Amino acid sequence: MRRRKLTPKTITVFISMCVLAIVMLYPFVFMINTSFKSKAQYFGAPGHSTASWGKLFKTLPVAQQLLNSTVVCAGAISIILLVSTMAGFAIAKMRSKATPILFLGIVGAMLIPLQSIIIPAYINASKLNLLNGYWGAIFVYAALGSPFATFLMTSYFRGIPEDLVEAAIVDGLSYPKVFLKIGLPLAVPAIITVIVLQFIQVWDDLLVGLLFIQEPTYRTITVGLGALSAGRVTDIPVLMAGSLISAIPAVVVYLIFQRQLVNGLTAGIGK
Amino acid sequence: MAKKSSLHSQRTRTGIFFAAPALILVSAFLGIPIIQAGYFSFTEWNGVDAIWLGFSAYTQEFKNPIFWRVLENNGLLLLGVPIAILFPMGIAFLLNEKVAGWKIFRSIYFLPTAISWVVIGMVSMRFFAQEGLLNDIFKAFGLGFIKTDFLSSEKGALFAVAITFIWSMVGTNSIIFLTGMATLDQSLNEAARMDGASNFRIFRSITLPQLNRFIQFSFIITVISAFTALFSLIFVMTGGGPGFGTTTLEFFIFQSAFSRGNFGTGAMLGVILFFMMAVLGIGQLLLMRNKDE
Repeated sequence: MRRRKLTPKTITVFISMCVLAIVMLYPFVFMINTSFKSKAQYFGAPGHSTASWGKLFKTLPVAQQLLNSTVVCAGAISIILLVSTMAGFAIAKMRSKATPILFLGIVGAMLIPLQSIIIPAYINASKLNLLNGYWGAIFVYAALGSPFATFLMTSYFRGIPEDLVEAAIVDGLSYPKVFLKIGLPLAVPAIITVIVLQFIQVWDDLLVGLLFIQEPTYRTITVGLGALSAGRVTDIPVLMAGSLISAIPAVVVYLIFQRQLVNGLTAGIGK
Repeated sequence: MAKKSSLHSQRTRTGIFFAAPALILVSAFLGIPIIQAGYFSFTEWNGVDAIWLGFSAYTQEFKNPIFWRVLENNGLLLLGVPIAILFPMGIAFLLNEKVAGWKIFRSIYFLPTAISWVVIGMVSMRFFAQEGLLNDIFKAFGLGFIKTDFLSSEKGALFAVAITFIWSMVGTNSIIFLTGMATLDQSLNEAARMDGASNFRIFRSITLPQLNRFIQFSFIITVISAFTALFSLIFVMTGGGPGFGTTTLEFFIFQSAFSRGNFGTGAMLGVILFFMMAVLGIGQLLLMRNKDE
């Protein structure tokens, strides 16, 4: 093990990094500190209390909304994984004249910003009666996540040697069997990356949930909070308690799967 | 030969069958809607009935001063992009020194990536408020006379949104550059140092060129975020105001359609945004392609 030397340079670097850490952690400190104050304490009265936490559970159906977020995330991620592993395998390992069209049609959709399609998609979904439950949001999230997931899966499956697939086919295995027995087990790291990336994306989203979940009882926690804050609720400690609760699941996932998240982020640049 | 071609056609058929679910999903919720958006952008549309206007729909909008005001806001936000790239690049250099605890610092800097814009917006709102931390900091440095509620003036609110945006890009961009620095060829630096090159010269002529594609990548990600990722932040922090002070194109789409019921105008603004992003996105795809080869 190399011993790190203490030089003026390393000390300066260390101090700068500490200052920056404070800047980046400030929201968390603010949230925690403020949530443990009553409204009066927030406006200057001394001390801390759990009054705002009690109030939060009366203002916002927290448990229901956390459950809703979980359902929407699970639904969207399941669909994304199903369609993107299959499509990625098809594009990488079942090449034909149709492959470039399939690739362009699926992965090319990454270029479409959500805001550009949201109006027609909203009208379509309302005509199809998809706005009354979870389904409208689940499908839109799934469609938004699938292009990049397919891109990731494709580059992953490309790493499987062609000979391995050929040999299995010659041995009499069908393509679906090769996909299930050889493809999927090898794609586990990419699958985890997609789950982590999409969980954070969907959990944290406001716009799709706001429009595609019309029934308040089905609202996700992020949408519930967004609506509460836009309603100009002035009880800031209550809002901060809600923010903290909504942030915890994504932060936990982040802390456990940081490496996969970074892999997903940098997948677009390559190694 | 016959066997081989039947195998080939089996592969083609299975391949199309395997890709079909993704293609159908993406077409139904992204592909068809973008075509619809193209059609409805030429109409006056209330969500039910559409009246065809043709190109005059566009020319009318181009005469609307608010439209240009909104684009100006987007332009002003873009001024933050260089900072949102250079500042994290500096951070990545610091992290790359690998002083004690650098991995913990890296985790801390990247942490906001996991937090929703709704939460960030709510905290940021208080930070820039009259009684917020920023004004306290000004006061501590003897600049108490500045004391102002940033969100109550158009320029101040846009400034607050821009700073929050830059802050939120710190994690993503420093991770990109840190990944880039891991690929640097150290032997080049040493060779250059032997030849008597200065630190600055090494940075400019050796380090920067090697980081080129990472800079491009972070540039594209940052610009795309500035144009398409800030809806929730603006929704929570300013509601697009005061006036149109923080209404960007993506927020204007939402407002036109869902606050004013002008679905046709909203669709048109969406098409304009799509073309702007497509130009950037094609650049990004080409970039990904390059490393594949």
